[in-house]
Amino acid sequence: MIDQFFEGFAMAMRFDTMAMMSIGLFAGMLVGALPGFTTLMAMAILLPISFFLEPIVGIPFLLGIYKGGIFGGSVPAILISMPGTGAAVATSRDGYKLTQKGKSRKALDMALFSSVFGDTSSDFFTILMIFPIAYMVMQFGPPELFAVLLMSLVIIAATSGANPLKALIMMMLGLWLSFIGTDPLGGVERFTFGLFDLKSGIPLLPMLIGVFALPEVASVVIRNEQGRKLAALMGERLQFSEFRRCFKTICRSTVIGTGIGIVPGLGQVVAAMMGYSAAKNASDHPETFGEGEIEGVAAAEAANNAVNGPTMVPLLTLGIPGDNVTAILLGAFVAQGLRPGPQLFEEQGATVFAILVAMVIANLLFLVIGYLSVPMFSRLVTIKTSILIPMVIMFSFAGTYVYRSDPTDLLILVAFGIFGIIAKSARFDVMPMVMGFILGPSMEYAFGQTVAMSGGNALGFFLTERIGALTLLIATPIMGYLLWKRLYSNLKAA
Amino acid sequence: MLKTFAKKSLAALAISGAALATTLSPAYAEYPEKPVTLVIPLGAGGSHDLNARILTSIVPSYLNQAMIVRLTPGAGGQKGTQEVANAPADGYTLLFTHNYIDMLQQYVENLPYDPMADFVSVARINFAPASVIVRADSPFLTFEELVAHAKEHPGELQLGHSGNWGAFFVPAAQMMKKLDFVMNMVPYQGGGPAMQALLAGDSDMSLAFPSTLGELLKAGKIRVLATAGEERVYDDVPSFTEVGIDGDIGFMHRFVLAPAGTPPEVLKKLEAAFAETSKDETFLQLMGRLGESVDPMTGEEYHALREGQAVAYQELVEELTSQ
Repeated sequence: MIDQFFEGFAMAMRFDTMAMMSIGLFAGMLVGALPGFTTLMAMAILLPISFFLEPIVGIPFLLGIYKGGIFGGSVPAILISMPGTGAAVATSRDGYKLTQKGKSRKALDMALFSSVFGDTSSDFFTILMIFPIAYMVMQFGPPELFAVLLMSLVIIAATSGANPLKALIMMMLGLWLSFIGTDPLGGVERFTFGLFDLKSGIPLLPMLIGVFALPEVASVVIRNEQGRKLAALMGERLQFSEFRRCFKTICRSTVIGTGIGIVPGLGQVVAAMMGYSAAKNASDHPETFGEGEIEGVAAAEAANNAVNGPTMVPLLTLGIPGDNVTAILLGAFVAQGLRPGPQLFEEQGATVFAILVAMVIANLLFLVIGYLSVPMFSRLVTIKTSILIPMVIMFSFAGTYVYRSDPTDLLILVAFGIFGIIAKSARFDVMPMVMGFILGPSMEYAFGQTVAMSGGNALGFFLTERIGALTLLIATPIMGYLLWKRLYSNLKAA
Repeated sequence: MLKTFAKKSLAALAISGAALATTLSPAYAEYPEKPVTLVIPLGAGGSHDLNARILTSIVPSYLNQAMIVRLTPGAGGQKGTQEVANAPADGYTLLFTHNYIDMLQQYVENLPYDPMADFVSVARINFAPASVIVRADSPFLTFEELVAHAKEHPGELQLGHSGNWGAFFVPAAQMMKKLDFVMNMVPYQGGGPAMQALLAGDSDMSLAFPSTLGELLKAGKIRVLATAGEERVYDDVPSFTEVGIDGDIGFMHRFVLAPAGTPPEVLKKLEAAFAETSKDETFLQLMGRLGESVDPMTGEEYHALREGQAVAYQELVEELTSQ
């Protein structure tokens, strides 16, 4: 094992590996930063390139795109309040407020450092604990997934603002919106009014851009912010003291993210939100969260990147991809003649370790590439408002259209834009709605599976076979109540 | 000064663009004169996506044009299928699909297209035979033992599959209908999660394709009880025909369709390009690594299979939904 590790380490130390990885990181970052393009698309399109490269060059190249893409997604989230994926929603909350305060560089730096820290730590943890993690992954079935998702939603609603009733209403609305379309289990159409365009449900991207970016555009236009001081907007770089202040939060989020990565089917969205909620709950000044608290950016970014390590485990140990990104990696592996599975470590140990080492090196390389790119990105906000706002609007529409080339999506974008503006002026937070919408389908599917598994006798099934899930389900309302009470009294006192 | 320059160059651009457009589109241009789009009605990262990535990196060398993959997931594959059904029948928009989306859905839902009338078959690329699998520590050593137990205890054994009306649901239902036994069917979101549920002990039986089976079988984690088709895939495992399930059951065919009305000479070129690709050594090598077979069939041959599937699926759906 140790020999293989050192052999793998030596294999990874190649110039062409580093070079291709850097290209992948940079390309991924650019693609991730463009609204409407996803990391997944970039990986799928560039996958054939890896077929014709050596394994230790081609796979790190794809990993580079993946890692670069996640950070890239938080760039528009921070700069123009336009999260392109669910994972960047939590980041945009405080990130955009920081940009408005003229601290966009600090926010981007913090996103970069906490991403790299979260990712690297979870990669190390994964390398060391790969077999125990593989065992733990197996302990989560649909009932457990349902319980964890329900708990996540309750925590999000309880910690999202001063008025949990408003948050709950918005979350219910989000859940209902996720019901529109074909029922994922039975294939029955719901709330589509016979429209074919609604049959596949409401797409996420137009909703995200509509409720987050367009209201911000509207408020800039309404307030007529022509005279913004341009140079001051970029602000200074992150100072070490600020990083140290957030270090505890970053560590906490890394642990949360790694834990969530172990549960199959949860992913980055839940991790980012849980990391954020936990940081807010642990803070002495929860009222600053959502108002431009740099700790909020750190909490969300560390958590959603820490998911990456453990999600590789089912792929490497069983050959089962946990999500679409790992499915593409599986394709890259097998096309190289590496067959992930129980015997991969025995047969190809050195190569696997080389890839894992390359993952860690990719993080370090990215620290450099990202740090050099941040000033380039944050220059965006120094563009004159009269030019920036039309550009943001163009990106909103182009990004939405490019995603599926479906004109209906543009109508959905406008509808959610108007909805977002109304919700903002009525002081309803759209975040719980988006979370309900994103997590709703998985939760519904897990619920349907649980019912199918129990064969009609749900109570007996939970009591005899699924005690863990049952305990979580019972604990959820209590936990939600306690969290809310604590935050509420804190907010009152403040 | 700058403005007039901009205006002039814009005008020049417009003129040259128009000129280019006229030279590029004479009435009888040689097909293909621009890249061909291959629509996949499924999401990124699935087996269809991976197959298509390999396919589209080889086909261009025989078609002399680039081939672009466009993923259009949604409504269980109907979104992408409809897109191609509505596309001009000029051979520049093709569909890469499988038989359950293609022929089964028309009996489950109202489709905005007619799969038989709106499409012509271009080529089948390959097929994957489903295997019936259990965990290695399962008490069932043969397919007969499993069926016997299920007959005695109806609905007690858990069967995990990759989604309702999907590639494992349909053969499982056909199997239960043919041999008259009942298991509790639990859907999972894809073949990976279904396999994980089997390994974790949540389900007693599942199905899988050879490409995902290889390593787990070698590591002794699972046991195969039967494989689809007449002939054996593994030497010591009976085929579906041997255990009494005959017919086109348990195969997922991957094939290319074109909108109906595509000119015959265009179809001929496409068929030839796909046929050449199926013999290409790099193609065979890459598909082999992926664990996928290469079993080309001409459009005409595959069309006959589609007709058979239509009848079989209609019967199955009627029986399952009438209960």
